[in-house]
Amino acid sequence: MTKLTAFAGIIFSLWLGISTPAHSSEALTDADAIVNRANLAAYYAASDGRAEARMLIRDAQGREQMRQFTILRRDREEGGEQDFLVVFSRPADVRNTVFLVAKKPGGDDDRWLYLPGLDLVKRISAGDKRSSFVGSHFFYEDVSGRSPREDSHRLIETSGQYYVIENTPLAPASVEFSRYTAWINRDNFLAEKIEYQDAQGEVYRRVEVLQSEMIQGHITVAESRVEDLRSGGETRLQFRYQSYDLGMGAEVFSERSLRKPPREWLRRAE
Amino acid sequence: MRLCYRSVPLLLALSAPSLHAQDDWGEDVWAEPGQQEIRLHGFVELAAGGRIDNDPVLADDDLSLAEFRSRLELETYADTVRLSAKLDLYADGVEPGAHLDIRESLADISLADNADLRLGHQVLTWGTGDLLFLNDLFAKDWQSFFSGRDDEYLKAPSTSLKLSLYGQKASLDLVWTPELTPDRFINGERFSYFSAGAGQQVAAPENKIDPTEPKQRLANGELAARLYGRRDLGSGSATEWALYAYRGYWKQPNAINADGEPYFSRLNSLGASLRGNLARGIAHAELAWYQGQDHQGNDPRLPNDQLRLLLGYEQELAPRLTLGLQYYLERTLDYDALSENDSGSVYRVDEHRQLWTMRLSYRAMQDRLSLSWFSFYSDTDQDAYHRPSLSYKFNDNLNLTLGANLFSGAQPHSFFGQFDQADNVYARLRFSY
Repeated sequence: MTKLTAFAGIIFSLWLGISTPAHSSEALTDADAIVNRANLAAYYAASDGRAEARMLIRDAQGREQMRQFTILRRDREEGGEQDFLVVFSRPADVRNTVFLVAKKPGGDDDRWLYLPGLDLVKRISAGDKRSSFVGSHFFYEDVSGRSPREDSHRLIETSGQYYVIENTPLAPASVEFSRYTAWINRDNFLAEKIEYQDAQGEVYRRVEVLQSEMIQGHITVAESRVEDLRSGGETRLQFRYQSYDLGMGAEVFSERSLRKPPREWLRRAE
Repeated sequence: MRLCYRSVPLLLALSAPSLHAQDDWGEDVWAEPGQQEIRLHGFVELAAGGRIDNDPVLADDDLSLAEFRSRLELETYADTVRLSAKLDLYADGVEPGAHLDIRESLADISLADNADLRLGHQVLTWGTGDLLFLNDLFAKDWQSFFSGRDDEYLKAPSTSLKLSLYGQKASLDLVWTPELTPDRFINGERFSYFSAGAGQQVAAPENKIDPTEPKQRLANGELAARLYGRRDLGSGSATEWALYAYRGYWKQPNAINADGEPYFSRLNSLGASLRGNLARGIAHAELAWYQGQDHQGNDPRLPNDQLRLLLGYEQELAPRLTLGLQYYLERTLDYDALSENDSGSVYRVDEHRQLWTMRLSYRAMQDRLSLSWFSFYSDTDQDAYHRPSLSYKFNDNLNLTLGANLFSGAQPHSFFGQFDQADNVYARLRFSY
């Protein structure tokens, strides 16, 4: 069966080769390998990076909220533990609030929040990774990545442009979905669309990449959107001024940066 | 220098020609002020709070909070030095008049790659407790806390010098406050209090607490130190440890001189804390040993030495619903000596004062709505203090907070029991920019 799919994939890509960019290699057939490459492409580009981000959160009634922040990331190991520092600049009441995360795939993340008004470094419980990130329709896991080890993966289709992977959670009680389907771009391994299904098999949540670009040789999301198809709310997330391989040290992701955000890395390059 | 109206409300932004192209998000929020610009932010807030009980000893006991407050926040860089100021100007109807409260006025200087200096008027916090402080002996503002101002006002600023040294395994904070900065304690003006001397509840003006402060001398400053670090233990989750030391004064005037006047007596303290992941939540433990002037405990006009212990745990029960529990123990040392020398005072503290706290918080509607309930309960003092609140964001700028401060106690002299008649409800409407 897998051989057949691979063969069909090669034919398909040859046929589409005229109108779409040539694929870098022949179609992969191992779902785990595809998901691992997608995970690396989405969350582990280079060894560190910075980006400015803004979110537009819109509820079903059309009421809008904005969040704006600068995000710094450093990989402790490729595909493994990572550190994130998120410094908010908008709205005004959360300005200078800082969020520090040590991501532990397969375990509970360490999370801290700095509240500047009280000069308080608060440790927050790892809690549910599938709960809202700063009030948006994105979950923590959408922002920092879901470990491929938490799902089983099945390649259900290989089209000219996409690997279509069905993902089933290994611990179904720990998540709100019964399965999700990811459309992974064959050229750059970006998961361009992910649809989450409930127990009845109905799609209730969709995450899409709306725009991406190559930056320093890494495919990079410039805009994405998550839709809550049940409530009708959605959040759009834009990234700007991304850069990679800045040479940030481990000390950037410490209590010092919570209380005194590292301007050296937060400033936009001249 | 050019002022950057980066987050000034849309109304203002639209009234001035924009230098930046507007996009479909309404305004160009990518615009970043350059190095030499001043960032200007702040809020205006209208707050009102009323008492729901009758306090017979307060002259005017209708309002617990009545103010119009304007906050101005300025931030800029002079080369690598960060300058920041937060100024609160408010018109108060409870303590009538216009007041200026400088919340912050400081300079951040990097001395080296691993050394920072923060100099000036600043709010300082450390330790692991949630609204309970053992090794954090920086100034608190209990008047604001009890009357329904924003949580941020619980911490009062001090004019201090903070030196931070960072190492691989551990880091060190040293804070010097040249002039004692006591708590903004309950002094009888906004709230009445129980006077052990008078044996009853009293208030200003006759019984306003106006303690003498230590003379301004180099030796009379406050010194606080924290050595801290974090280690990845066991399952790989980070455990934070800290050691604390303090040399200064009790932050409340709980000593009485020969004339019967309250004053701030000496206090030294040593302590330690741990914080880390446990099960699905966060656990913390903190210990402090308070040593005052009365090491034998036989002078009833001076506070005895104490041991303070705090244990806490917080966990998310369901998405966006978090429960936090804390147990706090205050052990008065040399208790026998105190009992023998205070003429059998009926107001003597218990040898072991226990306190439990609970925080329940819930967020909904994309964080527009947040509900919180914080309770203190002491089984040994037989008293309690509840702080329910609801906060709703109409949009990114406008926020409404409703809340209450509810006290109860079986005895008129206990810590929270003395405020039994101070129950209040409040509302705050804030426009941030």
